[in-house]
Amino acid sequence: MKKVEIFEPALCCPTGLCGPTVDQNLVRLTAIQRSVNHSGKAMIVRRNLAQNPNAFVRNKQVAELLKTDDMACLPITLVDGVVKKTGAYPTNEELIGYTGVATEQVKTQ
Amino acid sequence: MTLYNPLTANLTHYLFFTGKGGVGKTTMATATAVQLADAGKRVMIVSTDPASNLQDVFETKLSNQPQSVPGVSGLDAANFDPIVAANEYRESVVAPYRGVLPEAAIQNMSEQLSGSCTVEIASFNEFAKFLTDPTIDQKYDVIIFDTAPTGHALRMLQLPSAWSNYLDQNQEGASCLGQLAGLGEQKATYQKAVDTLNDANLTTLLLVSRPQWASLVETERAAEELAQIGMTNQQLIMNGVLEHPTDEPSQVIFDQQQADLRNMPTSLQSLPSAEVPLRAYNVTGIANIRKVLQTQQPSVTAESSPQTQFPSIDKIVDDLIKQNKKIVFTMGKGGVGKTTVAIQLAKKLAAHHKKVHLATTDPADHLSLFKIDDPAITVSHIDEKQVLKHYQDEVLAKAKQTMSADDVDYIAEDLRSPCTQEIAVFRAFADVVAQNDSDIVVIDTAPTGHTLLLLNSTENYAEEVKRTTGEVPQNVLDLLPRLQDPKQTEIITVTLPETTPVYESLRLNADLDRAKMPHKWWLVNQSLLATQTTDPVLQARASSELKWINQVKAVSNSYYAVEKWQPNFEQVNLTF
Repeated sequence: MKKVEIFEPALCCPTGLCGPTVDQNLVRLTAIQRSVNHSGKAMIVRRNLAQNPNAFVRNKQVAELLKTDDMACLPITLVDGVVKKTGAYPTNEELIGYTGVATEQVKTQ
Repeated sequence: MTLYNPLTANLTHYLFFTGKGGVGKTTMATATAVQLADAGKRVMIVSTDPASNLQDVFETKLSNQPQSVPGVSGLDAANFDPIVAANEYRESVVAPYRGVLPEAAIQNMSEQLSGSCTVEIASFNEFAKFLTDPTIDQKYDVIIFDTAPTGHALRMLQLPSAWSNYLDQNQEGASCLGQLAGLGEQKATYQKAVDTLNDANLTTLLLVSRPQWASLVETERAAEELAQIGMTNQQLIMNGVLEHPTDEPSQVIFDQQQADLRNMPTSLQSLPSAEVPLRAYNVTGIANIRKVLQTQQPSVTAESSPQTQFPSIDKIVDDLIKQNKKIVFTMGKGGVGKTTVAIQLAKKLAAHHKKVHLATTDPADHLSLFKIDDPAITVSHIDEKQVLKHYQDEVLAKAKQTMSADDVDYIAEDLRSPCTQEIAVFRAFADVVAQNDSDIVVIDTAPTGHTLLLLNSTENYAEEVKRTTGEVPQNVLDLLPRLQDPKQTEIITVTLPETTPVYESLRLNADLDRAKMPHKWWLVNQSLLATQTTDPVLQARASSELKWINQVKAVSNSYYAVEKWQPNFEQVNLTF
């Protein structure tokens, strides 16, 4: 099973709604994540700097990227431990590619 | 209405006192605790109010562990500051990563853990501990809290998806709940706490109100919100009812109180209720706490009040003119009279030939009700409910396109968080300021430092990564730097000459400092001392104001003014 990990900057809440503005990306990601995880065929895990900072230190690649590129490298997407994308969230197409799951929600986007 | 008597009031095992700062929650809670203990019950009182004055009231040092109160056998007390707990929590999360993660990452984490949600959840965590501890349950007959959980915190905990998403998996996104780590282990505790709160046989909610229109409206709102989520066993305590007026100021207060009580919101009228008269002494120290709920009161004699002269609001106006300020906010918690002060400032600035734009968030949403006919003043109204609803609708409409009903519910609760409300109102400010149709804009509420920092960090972040989505509106971007510029902006702290309001104001100031927002002036509103009353009860109240006025004078480096008490001060500029 493919495992996608997304390392995000600190958010008050993952939908970004408590933040200063609605980030459509975060709402989209929350929906896809749920749908992929419920399919049972792949797993998307999100790690938020405010709630799980240890993950950012534990993962050597992430820690290294943070050291060299600072916050600009976030969000970072890893697929089975390999860095696939930095500085922006993956698109729906990219997520289909990473997970091999084309869920209804992902398709209708 | 009858005198409040805890022994006959049909109270339960757990008691929660709720009400806005300054209504006398802590006084009512401690008087209840002492009277029950004196009647032979084993009682514990817990304060989770960040502005708690439990230590002053009992004249003893307290900690977050229950300890006996000297002079009252059978009574234990504990004091817990959720702000300190939230800070400790934040520090415990951030500290291990200092020097490990880059400084920008540390700042980002730190700010996200500085909002009101963190404090709300920290409070609830403490309620839950006391509500579910079997030792406490068995050791005491009555357990009293001098605050109640917020509706937001309770609703969060009652959302099924909050539990399943966050607590079980802890990896799909969660909401403000995620503010406290290790929540999964506490699922059972939280569930039991919520069940206990909703059990009318176990829990009574005591709504404390002043006999005053604005306070009653606020109480009604709290009563309805908490009833909706299950805290239905409610009683009303009307605190500070003036009984025998003896001079003009006291007669005016008496008439106003009686009129407001007659027009009490209907939903409050149906609750069991009792009153506590305004007392001629400060309720601190065990002796006075014992006295406050007694029928027999010591006789009072009029004493000559100290002749006091305080600087007036004109001093503030002159300075605003001299400094040529462009944006003026009046800041303070609900009930301190921010709107009245803003209106007064607008009128006085207009009298100095300034073109003024007055923006008000006062819930009286009919602009025509403001007695402002000066053509130099433009008035606009920011309806907090409406701007929030607009923002919520916008988000929900987008969310519904991609999410299941369960998820949408979940988002809907995020949208009720205090942070969201602040952001929505901030956007409305920005639009008013952007109209640029006046010399000076006066707004009767101020953004918090937290909101500004959130917006600022987003702005910086957007610059760094050229993020395209979730963009901040241009008006907001334009306003941010102006708010930190002391040449343009002044935030006036409005407070009352009482313990809780002054503490709350100091906290608001600290938050502004964090965001480097300029605030110089303080205004002490509703001072009885300034009315020169000769009524003995009012005089006793008035002389206790001096301590707080002096404290404001000290913290403001004498950039302060005092306004005297006015009847119906929230409505003074309204006509009906």
